[in-house]
Amino acid sequence: MKWMTFGPEIYTLLAALWFLLLSLGARPDAKREHLTSLLLAAVGVMVSVAAIKAEGHLFVNAYRVDFFSQVFKVMLSLGLFLIVCICGNLTDIRERNRHDFYILLFVCTLAMMLLVSGNHLLTIYVSLELSSYSLYVLVALRRDQNFGLEAGIKYFLVGIFASGVMIFGLALLYATTGATTLDDLVKVLPPIINQPAVIIGLLFTVSGFFFKLAVFPFHIWAPDIYQGSMNQVAAYIATASKVAAIAVLARVIASAGEGSTYLVHVLGVLSIISMTVGNLAAIAQQDLKRLLAYSTIAHAGYVLIGILSLNAAGYAGAVYYAMAVLVMKFTVFLVIVEVADDGRNVQIEQLAGLHRRSPILALALMVSLFSLAGIPPTMGFTGKFLLFVAAMGRGYFTLVLIAMINVVVSLYYYLLVIKAAYLLEPKEALPPLNVSPFIKLLSGVLAAVMIAAGLFPYYLIELADAAAKALM
Amino acid sequence: MIAFFKDPVLLAAALATSLPFLSMATILIFTRHNQRLSASISIGAVTTSLLCALYLLVTLHSAGAPVQYEFPWLLADQLLIPFGYLLDPLSLLMLTIVAAVSFLVQVYSVGYMSGDPGYSRYYAFQSLFAWAMMSMVISPSMIQLFIFWELVGLASYLLIGFYYEKWSASQAGKKAFVMTRLGDIGFFLGLIILLLGFGNLSILKMNEAAQAHAISPHLLTLSALLIFGGVMGKSAQFPLLTWLPDAMEGPTPVSALLHSATMVAAGVYMFSRIFPFYSGSPEAMTMALAIGTITMLLSSTMAMATYDLKQVWAYSTVSQLGFMVMALAAGGYFAGVFHLTTHAGFKALLFLCSGIFIHEYHTNDFREIGRQGGRNLVIPMICMTIGALALSGIFPFSGFFSKEAVLGVLAMQPNRIWLLAGLLGALMTAYYSFRLIFFMLFPKGGIEAHGGRNGASPGHGGHEEEHHGAIFWCMAVPVMILAAITVVLGFSQSPLEHFLVGKAATGAHTLAVEGGGSHAATEGHSPVHYMVLISAVSMAVGGIAWAWLEFGRKKATQEGFLRWLPKIEQLFARRWYLDDFLRKFLDTAIYSGVTSLFTRNDRRIIDGGIDGICQFTVASGRLFSFLQSGMLQYNLLVMIGAVALVVLYFLM
Repeated sequence: MKWMTFGPEIYTLLAALWFLLLSLGARPDAKREHLTSLLLAAVGVMVSVAAIKAEGHLFVNAYRVDFFSQVFKVMLSLGLFLIVCICGNLTDIRERNRHDFYILLFVCTLAMMLLVSGNHLLTIYVSLELSSYSLYVLVALRRDQNFGLEAGIKYFLVGIFASGVMIFGLALLYATTGATTLDDLVKVLPPIINQPAVIIGLLFTVSGFFFKLAVFPFHIWAPDIYQGSMNQVAAYIATASKVAAIAVLARVIASAGEGSTYLVHVLGVLSIISMTVGNLAAIAQQDLKRLLAYSTIAHAGYVLIGILSLNAAGYAGAVYYAMAVLVMKFTVFLVIVEVADDGRNVQIEQLAGLHRRSPILALALMVSLFSLAGIPPTMGFTGKFLLFVAAMGRGYFTLVLIAMINVVVSLYYYLLVIKAAYLLEPKEALPPLNVSPFIKLLSGVLAAVMIAAGLFPYYLIELADAAAKALM
Repeated sequence: MIAFFKDPVLLAAALATSLPFLSMATILIFTRHNQRLSASISIGAVTTSLLCALYLLVTLHSAGAPVQYEFPWLLADQLLIPFGYLLDPLSLLMLTIVAAVSFLVQVYSVGYMSGDPGYSRYYAFQSLFAWAMMSMVISPSMIQLFIFWELVGLASYLLIGFYYEKWSASQAGKKAFVMTRLGDIGFFLGLIILLLGFGNLSILKMNEAAQAHAISPHLLTLSALLIFGGVMGKSAQFPLLTWLPDAMEGPTPVSALLHSATMVAAGVYMFSRIFPFYSGSPEAMTMALAIGTITMLLSSTMAMATYDLKQVWAYSTVSQLGFMVMALAAGGYFAGVFHLTTHAGFKALLFLCSGIFIHEYHTNDFREIGRQGGRNLVIPMICMTIGALALSGIFPFSGFFSKEAVLGVLAMQPNRIWLLAGLLGALMTAYYSFRLIFFMLFPKGGIEAHGGRNGASPGHGGHEEEHHGAIFWCMAVPVMILAAITVVLGFSQSPLEHFLVGKAATGAHTLAVEGGGSHAATEGHSPVHYMVLISAVSMAVGGIAWAWLEFGRKKATQEGFLRWLPKIEQLFARRWYLDDFLRKFLDTAIYSGVTSLFTRNDRRIIDGGIDGICQFTVASGRLFSFLQSGMLQYNLLVMIGAVALVVLYFLM
């Protein structure tokens, strides 16, 4: 039965519809909704895992299911589950909007699942827009109108601009190649990749994904939107949304085959600027979410290093890095959500004394920041290592060197955060944080996963390799 | 893992070497506050190690070839660094010596250190030392040997500076560490050169290759000379010898264990470990011979001018180490190792005896001890005299046999100067040893003597018992055991030689025969050897007689001939101005020259540069985040500009 290959998508759609139904009738009940969503998301993870071996083309080749897409679908549903885990205390949202929040979360995840499987260019475009629009609304949902609405509109404006560029790119691609699906592009594109119109078309097309991933010059939204949106939504944007963007970017760039030096140059320059701008600007930040936004921009630059290697090793590195980003970034946001129990934004110095207020959160924060900075033996180190090795394999020494310097710079602001959590004393004594056992367990597990994946990365690397092979 | 338990030899080797480490960890982490428990753990561990070592010695006594276990440890490109155990006669002998002396010293320390606030710390460090030293002894490769070599140095540093609140002790610890490290730089460089040129640091392979002339002679000589730097540092050879007398700042049992019997012998041990390797390079051997000789003579003279009990033995340790190096460098593998063995016994004995006196009279000055009635401690006094007799090389004590062996080897050298130097050394050794003994036995001005002039006569047994009790016996029993060993050990020469040379790696065997020294010395066939025997004994007896004339007899002035030569006495007492020279050299060349230049470079260029980079980075971060204002129009403008640039790049 071919429809079974569409299982995770159908399931996620049904889950979203369930919340739609609830929003029509049921009285709002925060606890019940949270438990329902937790259950639905957990089952969703199982469904995605069950469908991991599925393969095939659907809807007249508009949709392609392969190991690559299925691995990412597992990551996306896992991301959704994790986000739902920290939605237990949605203080930053109006009660009547809570159903909408869950609908949009599930719809957005659905859209991203469609995105990573998209084969027809229009499928990709439409699912990208669907996920973006869900996010625009999610950002704007914040109770504090000044913050949320401003951020939502900014996000929207930058987004439609990027999608305009993308549409233009799609038109150019179609005009020069006559192909509308990635399967066809793989055949047509490589011989003519050096023509300016083709390569501009390709680059404009990926602009839409650059926007999602926050690569220079489409990174501008990130700090404002992270700061302006509620903590859970920012976490979602920083994790699941990035994972989907990495997937689709890798998929589209992979259709260029061996590529051309121009393409590599442009991607390389964008990667370097993203890293440098992100890391340097992060140094001056006081707001933790703003800092993470800049670090996201820098991480987008690292991922590009793997993708511009245009070989299996590079894509595998990108896949591994997507997993790493999902876990690392989520852990930091988990800490933010727990520290800001009233949904406010967290300043770095407000972390002071965290190690005493909640040792397990401080530990998780430290591990995740070390992982983000790429210190062994953590998941982030292995990810960076794979990316850099792939680029070195292609002989891009300068690029790797600049990336290394950037890693060192990034260590500075990550350590500032750790210093705040462990060494600074709060001005007045703060009571211990009230952290539920479930969250304690979750943060412990996440910290353990990050270290375990750094010490024994073989299984995950094999998984990433297999996914990248499906791409080639 | 199962193989591990199936092979009792491997298990014993692993147990012997790892238990002290575990005991150190346990003491430092858990039982630091319980002194009695800490001591028991440490002694228990070292007892097991000793039993394992004895078991290995018995089991592998007649094993033909060396037993070697290797496990891969570090893998880098083509370089594989294994970790494991090499069990051959030499390492087994040394392992037993180390375990035995460690055991005796730890038991002794129960009494000596009792009441010390750092009691647990002391036992933790003792365990650290035992672990490092035993692991070093059975290392199959030079890398592993080097690692534990450094750990032994660390243990030494910690134990010398044990009374760290005392300024001189912490200074002495630092001095020992820095000076031995200086030699280790050469050692490590030598290993690196050898690794680059030869590609393997396995001890057996190195020895084989050197014997088969598979290493180019220049490489061999260069690396052998550099590696000898390690011997110079660790075994306190000229010119790195002054740290050892200062190391006596540590507790006396530590001096007995580390700074006489075992650790300082590590250099000599390493020399004999790669003896076939060294013998591939006559140049290196000659240099070693010269350095050993200089060391021996210099330190003997130094010992003649000091009045500190422990210092005398320290100088004599240095000189005996020089003697061993001479033996090895002259080709006498067995003679060197044999002297190492006997020396470990009688020198530990001497130090432990001194420890009892120091513990009793709270002074290091042997004139003072003598004046306060040191000879009334009958057992230590007898044992100390036995040790001194062994040290001087008097029959039938162990030192006699090993000294004869060494002198026999030296006699085989075509150049007679080495033999003469050796004999002169023997003379001086006997002189300074008995200078000390006579000072203690027959103090000038006298004490209230109960019996005859002979302090060794029985009849004073009651005296110490009322004073000390259990603590005294804790210290006295190890001393008596060591004294017994000193008396007996000499007669085991032939079996030991059979064990070491007859069954050693073929390389060592042929060489020892080629060198011929050891065989000739024991068999004593040639007339040369009768001559050597006679002259050596007469030197020893002459030294004692000389000391008797000056210090022992009733009308002796107890001033010594050095009184008449103040300049020379000054020279000896100031250690031939070696320390002053080093001090001056450090002050002028290092501190005000190199160091200040480097400091300036560090402050201005490196620190300044890094500060500059950091400030630049932070400033540009500020700039970027300033540019990233909330103004959407500007932001979109930047986007359009960047996209336009990309397009332009392709159109160009």
